[in-house]
Amino acid sequence: MPIAPVLMLAATIAAAPSPTPGPTLAIEDTMQTEVPEVLVRAPRVTLDEILDRVARGEARRESLITDQTFTATVRVVRNVKGDRPELFEESVWRIYRKRPNRLRTVPLRRWSAGKKQGAKAEVDVEFSPGMGERVVNFAFRPNARRGYRYRIVGRDLVGDRVIYRIAFETRSLLDSVSPSGLVWIDTNEFVIVREELEFRRSPVPVLLKGIDRMVVERQRAGEHWVLKRVMMRGEMTLPIPKFGKSFDFAIHYDDYELNRGLSDALFAKPRRGAPAAPAKSGGR
Amino acid sequence: MTRRLDWVLVVFAIAGAILATAPVSASSSVARDLGPMAQASPPDTTLDDFLEDYADSTERYFGMAAAPLDTAGLDSALAFGLAHPDAAGDRSGRFALGFGPWLAFNRVDGPLYGATAKVGQPRLLGELQGRLGYAVGPNDWMGGGEYTKLWGFRGSDATWLFNASAGRFTGVMDRDRADRIWASLRAFVAGTDNQRYLRRDGFWARLEYETSWWRLGTGYRDELESPLEVTTTWNLRKKAPSVVDNLPAALGRAREAMWYGTVRLPLIHGGWATAEHRSSGSAINSDFDYRRTRAAVGAEVPIAGVVSLVPQFEYGRLGGELVPQAAFYLGGSRSLQTVESSSRGGTGEAFGRLDLIGAPELFRFTNVLGIPPNSVQAGLFGALGAIWGPDPYGGPTIPGVDWPEREGWLGEVGISILLRPGLPDPAGFIHFDWAWPIGPDARERGFSVYYARPLFLVRPIVR
Repeated sequence: MPIAPVLMLAATIAAAPSPTPGPTLAIEDTMQTEVPEVLVRAPRVTLDEILDRVARGEARRESLITDQTFTATVRVVRNVKGDRPELFEESVWRIYRKRPNRLRTVPLRRWSAGKKQGAKAEVDVEFSPGMGERVVNFAFRPNARRGYRYRIVGRDLVGDRVIYRIAFETRSLLDSVSPSGLVWIDTNEFVIVREELEFRRSPVPVLLKGIDRMVVERQRAGEHWVLKRVMMRGEMTLPIPKFGKSFDFAIHYDDYELNRGLSDALFAKPRRGAPAAPAKSGGR
Repeated sequence: MTRRLDWVLVVFAIAGAILATAPVSASSSVARDLGPMAQASPPDTTLDDFLEDYADSTERYFGMAAAPLDTAGLDSALAFGLAHPDAAGDRSGRFALGFGPWLAFNRVDGPLYGATAKVGQPRLLGELQGRLGYAVGPNDWMGGGEYTKLWGFRGSDATWLFNASAGRFTGVMDRDRADRIWASLRAFVAGTDNQRYLRRDGFWARLEYETSWWRLGTGYRDELESPLEVTTTWNLRKKAPSVVDNLPAALGRAREAMWYGTVRLPLIHGGWATAEHRSSGSAINSDFDYRRTRAAVGAEVPIAGVVSLVPQFEYGRLGGELVPQAAFYLGGSRSLQTVESSSRGGTGEAFGRLDLIGAPELFRFTNVLGIPPNSVQAGLFGALGAIWGPDPYGGPTIPGVDWPEREGWLGEVGISILLRPGLPDPAGFIHFDWAWPIGPDARERGFSVYYARPLFLVRPIVR
């Protein structure tokens, strides 16, 4: 018997897996299919084009809103990294906005830990009459493009929509106020639908040790995308008496009414003794 | 707002600035220009579910802050608020009051004790600020009022500013590098305030228009300018003041018209150019006859995300009569630091500085020292400067007409540590600069502590 075939046979037997008890899966070789190659000729949308479309999409979104009414809730929670987070302050406002720059804010509730109902709030948030929602698109406005670097992080197929995730960061090494972030863009309308912001440096080191996380969410109100929530978690550089170090700051936007034709009288300064004009769209 | 929690206001004012919303000046043509991919689409529950997944995780992270609003009682509060706008206080702020101290120290006024008060807000009816103080050195009262009005809401693409002031104040001879707080501290602690001072009695006003790309302004002033004598030479460290005299200002009524502008440079990242021109003459019944022009450019050029190159340059010329309070000066913290502050003057000035500033991530060790992380940066710099023309101090005329002669240039190199407190200006740094002279002249090494933005020769538009 030639020795080479014997050695090969021995090697084959040695390499074969030892039989184990249980079912054996046969190799399926009767069902085969082939998909013909498809040459994609459509050019891939470049990042620059996406950014252009986002700028136009955001401008379009804004241009379609002529007046806006919503309830804004400003909330501060203290000691969020401790055992017992505690609501420190909550104020609720009904906001009326109308183009070009009309604004009316009606306080509905002011609550502050250890203070009477209706006492003046410790935290004031100034609302702007603009409807551009700069907190969402500040890095995607045409005049901001030079100041940021952008990159496509990923794409998600959601139903019949493609959602682009685009990361951005400020180019400047000296600008500590502008955050970096990640946005989710609905490419049906090229509108930003969600944003996560990251402050690599504290904007106010002497007071704030840092901002751990900031999230901006949008929601649909009818046909339009509008703000839903802005939330931020931060930590003070030094503990503040009766407040602590860590805190959450949130603004909720609810009960939207858009393009209802708010009366100009709603924004007029009240004359002494004259009844104030009601909102055409009613209350909340 | 209670004093106890003023800091909360500061923090959330910053948050408010971040959250400020503003419109884009969009028209309906924008919608047509968006292209076929950007048509309004019907609500998609799949997308809503997709976003809801993220929202759920956000709620778990933020907990109580993300909880839904309890709406009990809000309807009746809204009905009351709409019917009683003043009672509800929804127009508060129009007459907001504020008070504060006014403290200063320099060798012409000595200690100045006073107070400031202000009412209103610039974006509403305007802000009116008054200040009154007593200068112990000359036994003189000083003060006046200032009104500021802004048109255009916060974050808007264009704003108008009107600003006017009237009263008696102490001014600084070097108009381009006036420093109040740090000069007072230096004078009080160690007597190392080298600024030259004069008295100004009268009024000024300016009107300014600003977009995110450019700013244009014009102004006028009518002030009696008079010299001041040194009255105070003491300081905490009981050292002899670094400057014991004061350059006398030319006495006279200065009526001056001013135009200025700033523009973002289109092809250079972080690039800005600024120019201003002031004119005073008999045509507007001024006692002085001069034309003062200054221009500056600067930029921030990030390199590989590790360092930033910050070049900046300024050029100034004074034509007509040499008035010390209109002249150009060289030396000091935001100039050549190996030259004593404002010690060299003339009718022409050229100054350039190049900074190489490292990213704050390179200095994480500062956390160990108790300084908030990423708030310290370090850099290298080089600077060149020259002054020429007749000397306001009475020295010989330095050769040069529109440009200095070659031997008129002075140079220096140095290192800097930049500490960013975030207040009062989020973009401002406390600079600790060590500078060494270049060249054969007998200047000494300089050390300066000052507060400024890295681009201090131009005034960028911040929105």
